[in-house]
Amino acid sequence: MRKISLLFLTIPLLLTGCASTGGVVAEDLWVKSSEMSMQGGMTAVYGTLTNNTQQDVVLVGGETEIAGVVEVHEMTMIGGEMKMQEIDGGLTIPAGMSIVLEPGGNHLMLMMLTDDLEAGEEISVTFDFDGAEDITVDGIVAKPAEGGDEDYHSGEMEMDN
Amino acid sequence: MVSRRGFLAGGAAAAASGAVGIAAGAAGASLAAEADLETFAASRQAEFYGPHQSGIELDIQAVTNMVAFDIKESVTKADMLRWMRLLTDDIARLTAGEPVLADPAPELAIGAARFTAYVGFGPSLFSKLGLEAQMPEGFAELPAFGVDQLQERYSAGDVLIHIAADDPVVLAHGTRGLVRDSMPFASVRWVQPGFAHSPGMIPAGLTHRNLMGQVDGTANPELGSSDFDSVVWINDGPEWIKGGTLLVFRRIAMQLDTWDQLGTPSKEEVIGRKLSNGAPLTGERETDVPDLGARHPNGLLVIPEFAHIRRAAPQESGERIFRRPFSYDNGMNERGSMDVGLLWTAYQRDISKQYLPIQRRLEQLDLLNQWTVPIGSAVFAIPGGVQGSELLAEALFS
Repeated sequence: MRKISLLFLTIPLLLTGCASTGGVVAEDLWVKSSEMSMQGGMTAVYGTLTNNTQQDVVLVGGETEIAGVVEVHEMTMIGGEMKMQEIDGGLTIPAGMSIVLEPGGNHLMLMMLTDDLEAGEEISVTFDFDGAEDITVDGIVAKPAEGGDEDYHSGEMEMDN
Repeated sequence: MVSRRGFLAGGAAAAASGAVGIAAGAAGASLAAEADLETFAASRQAEFYGPHQSGIELDIQAVTNMVAFDIKESVTKADMLRWMRLLTDDIARLTAGEPVLADPAPELAIGAARFTAYVGFGPSLFSKLGLEAQMPEGFAELPAFGVDQLQERYSAGDVLIHIAADDPVVLAHGTRGLVRDSMPFASVRWVQPGFAHSPGMIPAGLTHRNLMGQVDGTANPELGSSDFDSVVWINDGPEWIKGGTLLVFRRIAMQLDTWDQLGTPSKEEVIGRKLSNGAPLTGERETDVPDLGARHPNGLLVIPEFAHIRRAAPQESGERIFRRPFSYDNGMNERGSMDVGLLWTAYQRDISKQYLPIQRRLEQLDLLNQWTVPIGSAVFAIPGGVQGSELLAEALFS
């Protein structure tokens, strides 16, 4: 694998002319619909973020019109239970790598929703980075989805911020 | 989860080409060819973007699910548009062999396998949403026919998603994704699974056989021809239906026990075609035009008065349809009688001018009616295809 990596390292040099769009690229983004939510409801944004820069980039937060609070969360084992918590210092995307935000894993948590987010609705989300320019993505579609052992609508969920 | 995208893909490609290099001997090449043959179905892709929805002007796939929905009471045009936004993206991804967004089991996206899905709307949807003015010309519920023994559980529906693929796992997983994204808007009214031949059993373009043994679909307009365009694809009327078509769906049960009591000559006279290759009784090849006037030396018609192809033959130009029937097999009873038949589909520009005159003749006299019983029935208007960022039926629900 090391050989192959070295081989491909030459390609960015060849492509520097068209690499002006560098920074972080977001793909396959979606947000979990939250039709039962009221003021204070929660949901999350998922997808793939690729760091096309030469240095590490940190996802530290975001903004969207439909949420009062946006935080970068991880699912982690605490006292023998999977729990969701804010990632201290944000989520690092190493240079040239991708991270996947997915149910049951890291995600961009939207809290204090200002309205229902219905299936098929589209929202715009800004991702805030340290080490790269923030990006704003329009047309992130709300999908009806379960899974990831997450239960955003449960009052029993503990948040260890 | 961290992956070195691009680098990883490049590595995999390099490893694959390395493997091919090692296996460069004659035996290796033939092994590689055999492996390609075993997985050829996975890589075959239908076209999603274009003037028409996919899964109609396409050689029939191996397996299908027809899923009909009734919308929830509160659903509005705006809700329908949100539903179509989800379905458009889902179908585009599934057609390319990719998982839908939010797929809880993306590892099941194992190949395109000519996955297709198209969406259609029943007359009941137009009345529920007050969209009667958008109904295409020649589109209405079918009248009751004397031969019908229709069952509610196989009939009607507000919305149809007709899904098909060359692989049952691809079909099941794709169906699950499309139904999951439909649940906020509608409930499932019925689902009817069906099948045709596996990939590789029948050369492309050749007509397949139904479970009565007949070559079924002869005299269809040829895929990709201007004839097909003029029989199937609508080019006027409301904006949303341009590039679309009208579907007549009939679930037709076959009485195989009594059919099998007939000898070959009787079976052939019922249809007017040879069982061996589908040629008309007056010809040699499936494509030969039947000579409806030909008589035996004793004066009897070679293709009898009651023969299916005589009754179905157009009396006026334009009385033609495109048929794409799948078979169904719904098990058997304790006496071993199989519950089998056809998910019979006919596509056309105008049901009143194309399907109805043919069906009225068949209803009056068609000996085949003794062994075939329509037990389900529905009509759907299928919107045109999408390009770029358009949504299915966007013009109807905007």
